[in-house]
Amino acid sequence: MDFYTNALAQVLSFGPLLAMIGATLLGVFIGALPGLNPVMAIALLLPLTYSMDPLVALAMVAGIYNGSMYGGAIPAILLRIPGTPASIATTFDGFPMADRGEAAKALKIACWSSALGGIASAVALMTVGPLLARVTLFFGPAEYFWIAIFGMASVGVMVGSDPIKGIMAAMLGLLIGTVGIDNLSGQARFTFGQTWLLGGLDLIVVLVGLYALPPVLQLAEKADLKGLTAAQLKLTNVPFKPGEVRGLIPTWLRASGIGIGVGILPGAGGNIAAFLSYNAAKNASDDPSSFGKGNPQGVAAAECGNNADNAASMIPALSLGIPGNVVAALVLSALTIHGLQPGPQLFHQNPLLVGGFMMEMLLTSVLIFALGGAVATRIFAQFQRLPGVLLVPSILILMCVGVYVINGRPVDLWVMLAAGFAGYFLEKVNVPLAPIILGMILGPMAEQSVRRALLISRGDASELLTRPISAGLAIATVLVIAWPIAKAMRRRRAAR
Amino acid sequence: MEKRQDIVLGLLFAGLGIAAAVMATDYTGASGTYPKVLGLILALLGGAVTVRAVRSGRNEARELIDVPAQMITAAVIATIYVALVVPIGFYTASLLLMLALPVALGFRQLLYALTVALVFMALIYLVFSVLLEKPLPREAFLSFFGSGG
Amino acid sequence: MKINTILLGLTATAALAAPALAEYPERAIELTIPAGAGGGTDTSARKLAILLEEKLGTSIAILNVGGGGGSVGASQFMQTKPDGYSLFATWNSPLTTVPQVQNVAYSLDSFTPIASTSETAYTLCVNADFPATTGEEFLAELAANPGAYTYGNDGIGGTMQLAAERIFQAKGIDAVAIPFGGAGETLQNFLGGHVDIYGGSISTVLPYVENGEAKCPLVTSAADVPALPGAAGLETLGLGDKETLLWRAILGPKGLDEAIVDKLANVIEEAVNDPSYVEFLATKGEVPNVVKGEDLGARLQTEYDALAEVSKNLGL
Repeated sequence: MDFYTNALAQVLSFGPLLAMIGATLLGVFIGALPGLNPVMAIALLLPLTYSMDPLVALAMVAGIYNGSMYGGAIPAILLRIPGTPASIATTFDGFPMADRGEAAKALKIACWSSALGGIASAVALMTVGPLLARVTLFFGPAEYFWIAIFGMASVGVMVGSDPIKGIMAAMLGLLIGTVGIDNLSGQARFTFGQTWLLGGLDLIVVLVGLYALPPVLQLAEKADLKGLTAAQLKLTNVPFKPGEVRGLIPTWLRASGIGIGVGILPGAGGNIAAFLSYNAAKNASDDPSSFGKGNPQGVAAAECGNNADNAASMIPALSLGIPGNVVAALVLSALTIHGLQPGPQLFHQNPLLVGGFMMEMLLTSVLIFALGGAVATRIFAQFQRLPGVLLVPSILILMCVGVYVINGRPVDLWVMLAAGFAGYFLEKVNVPLAPIILGMILGPMAEQSVRRALLISRGDASELLTRPISAGLAIATVLVIAWPIAKAMRRRRAAR
Repeated sequence: MEKRQDIVLGLLFAGLGIAAAVMATDYTGASGTYPKVLGLILALLGGAVTVRAVRSGRNEARELIDVPAQMITAAVIATIYVALVVPIGFYTASLLLMLALPVALGFRQLLYALTVALVFMALIYLVFSVLLEKPLPREAFLSFFGSGG
Repeated sequence: MKINTILLGLTATAALAAPALAEYPERAIELTIPAGAGGGTDTSARKLAILLEEKLGTSIAILNVGGGGGSVGASQFMQTKPDGYSLFATWNSPLTTVPQVQNVAYSLDSFTPIASTSETAYTLCVNADFPATTGEEFLAELAANPGAYTYGNDGIGGTMQLAAERIFQAKGIDAVAIPFGGAGETLQNFLGGHVDIYGGSISTVLPYVENGEAKCPLVTSAADVPALPGAAGLETLGLGDKETLLWRAILGPKGLDEAIVDKLANVIEEAVNDPSYVEFLATKGEVPNVVKGEDLGARLQTEYDALAEVSKNLGL
C-alpha cells in the first residue's frame, strides 16, 4: 500500500497531472471524431514524448486511451457513427435513446459507465493483475479458437429481425478477414495481384466507411440548412432518477468483469469486450426485446465493457512483457526507449514508473467523470449546432484524413468509399453491419488459432475439446447460444 | 420492391460466395479450405434469401434511397473529392469540398460556409501538419509557384 | 510578361544551379517502416530518428505500413520519389527473405542501399527442464526424435524460420514449425508450454533466461552472444557458414543521388555510434553494425542468394 501512495504522490506532481488532464480531454476528442482512433493517436504522439519525463509520456498514453474509449460513444449516440470499433455496440441502444430525445441521458450513462469500467480495470491491474497474468499463459491456440467462437456467438444479438441476413453478413466479414497473406502458409488470398492487399483490409478503413458514410449520406439527404438551436440540443444535465443507478449496478459489475477478463488475454482485444458485455446484458435481462430500441442497460454494458478492457490489457504487457494489443506494444516500446527491459522483473526495475503508470490509468478513468460529462460532451455537441449541410463535408474530411494517415496511401480512401456505399445499401435492405465488423475482427483469430492448434496436435482435432480450459469454453459457447433460445421458449410457454 | 431487392441481394451474395469458393480452390492446403467453406456457406445463405423472396407473397414498398437527388449529389461530390485529394492536394480539395457540397445541397450563406471551412481547415492543419507532422497529399498549387515549398 | 520571364528564369536557374546536397535536407523527411507500431524494427527506427533529426536539423515523420511480412511497406515505398525525403527503415527480412516465398513487385534493385544500423542473432530456447542444455546436446536431442518437438517462429517463410531451418537441414533435423504473429506471441505460447521451443529475437526471451525459467542452447550467429553466455554460436557447432542474422538498415528508393547517400550514410553512422544509441541497442541484445552504400548492396545480395537456396530445399 505504501508503494502506491508513493506512486500517487509522484503522479500528482504538476507535469503528469497536466498531461493526464490534457490527454484525457484530447482522448475524448480523438475517440469522438470518426476516422481518428486511439491507437493511431498514441502511435503518433508517443514519439514526441521520448525526450520528456517518462511519467508524463505515460500519462498521455493513459489519458488518450481511456478518454478515447469514452469519446467513441459521443458520435455513436448522437449520430449513430461509432467513433472507434469498440463503440459499435453503443450505437445499438445509444442512438435510439438520442432519437427519442434522451441524448443527454445516454451520454451521461456512457460517461459513468466508461469511468466505472476504467476504474474497475485499473484496480484489477494494480491488485490481482500480476497473479492473473500467469493464468493467461494456460490459454493456447485451442483456447483462443474457442474465445473467437464464443465471441462469434454474440452475433446472435445483432442480427436483428432477419437472422439469415445477419449470418450472411457475418460470413461476409469472415471472408473479408481472410484477405491478404496467410501467416500460416504464406499463401496470398484474394489479393488480385494487388500488393497493398497483402496486409489485408484495414479494420479501421472498413469501419469508417461502413459506419460513418451511411449516416453522412443520410444527413445530406435531410439537407438541413439551419442547424439546431441551443435549446434543441437538450444537453442540460439530467439527474439520474432514484433507483436508476442501482438498476445499472449489476450491468456495470458484469461488464467490468467481462472487459477485464477479455482485456487480460493477449490478443483478444477490447473491440469484442463491448460486444460480449452487451450480449451478456441482453441475456440477463427480463426483457431482451427492449435491447436495440434504446435500453439504457445496453449503453451501460457496451461502454463499461470497452473501458474495462483498457487497463487490463496492460497486465500481460507489464507483468510478462507480452504486449496484448498495439497500445500495450507502444507502451512497452516507450519503456524500452527509456532504458527499461520489459519482462517479469519490470516492476522491480522501476516500481515508481510502472506503479505510476498504473495509477495514471486509474486517475484518467476518474477524470472521465469530470471531463467527459461536463466539458468534452458539451464542446463536442456544439459541433452539432452547425447546419447539417456543413457537417456533411466536415465529417467527410475527417474520415478521409483519418483513413489516409493510417498507411499513407490513397487507395485506402477508395476502400473506405466503397465500403460506405455498400453499407448504405446493405442497411436499406435489412442486412446488419455489425456482424461484418465482428467477422473481420474474430475471423483471423479463429482461423489461425484452430490451424495452429491442429499443427501442434499433429492434426488431432479432439485436442480442441479435451483440454480442460478449451472444454470449458466450448460448453460456455453452447450455453450462450442456447440460453436466449431456451428463455424465449419458456416465455412463449408462459404466455400461452 | 422488397421482393425484387431481396432477390437481387441474395443473388449478389450467392455470386460472391461462389466466386470466393472457386478462387479458394487455387490456394494450398488448409489456407484454401477455410475460405472455400466460407464461400459456400455465403452462397447457400444468399440462395436462401433469394428463394425466400421468390416464394414470399409479401412485397412491401422499401425505398433504397430516401431522397435520391440529395443522396446522389452528396455521393458524387464525395467521390470527386476522393479522386481529387491526391492530384490537387489535401487542403485545396478539402476547402473546395467544404464550399461545393453545402452549395450543391442548397446552402446559400456563402460567407458562413467559408468561415466554417477556414476555421475547420485551420484546426486540421494544426493537428495533422503542425502537431503530428503527418505528410498529407501535397498541394498542387505550391509546385506551381516553383520548386520550393 | 517581362517580370514573369525573369521570375521563371530565376527559378529555373536556381533549381539547376543549386546542388542537391548543399541545401539537403530543407524539409521534413518521411521514414517508412514496413511493420506496425511498437515492434522491434519500429522501436529501433524511432529511437534512431530522434538522433537523426538532431543531426540533420529537420524533422522526420514516421509512417508505419505493416502487413505481408514487410512486403506491403516495401512495395509502397518503392514508388516514392528518389529526392532524399523518403527513406525506408527496415529489417533484412522484407528484402532478402520475403521475396523467396511471395510474388513481390520489388527486387533488391528497387532500392538504393544507404547504411545498415544494427544486428542481432535469433535464438532457440527451451524450458529449464528440457533434457539438453548445450547446443550440441540440443541438436542431438532434436535429431534423435524427428517430428517430436514443436518450435514457435515469426511466421512461415520468415527469416527466423529460415535461420532455424538452415541449421536443421544441415543436421538432418525434423521439427514442427508453428508460426505465430511475432516474438511476443511466440513467447506467450512458449511460456504456457504450448510449443516446446522458442524461436525468435533474444531481447524478448532474455528476462526469462535471467530468471532461470528458460535456457537457450544456441544462437543463429556464428559467434557467441555476450547476453546469452550459455548459448553456443554456430561456429562452435561447426556450422559457421549457416549464420543468419536479424539486421536493420536504412535505404532509399532506386536512383537516389550519390551525394545524398553519402551524407545520410555518414550521419547514420554517427547516430548509431552515439553512446545513447549503443546503450539502447544493448538493452535489446543488439550491437551497432554500420555497412554503407555499395557494400551494403553486396551484403544484401549475398544473403538473398544464400536464403534462396534454403527456401528451395524447404519447398517454400
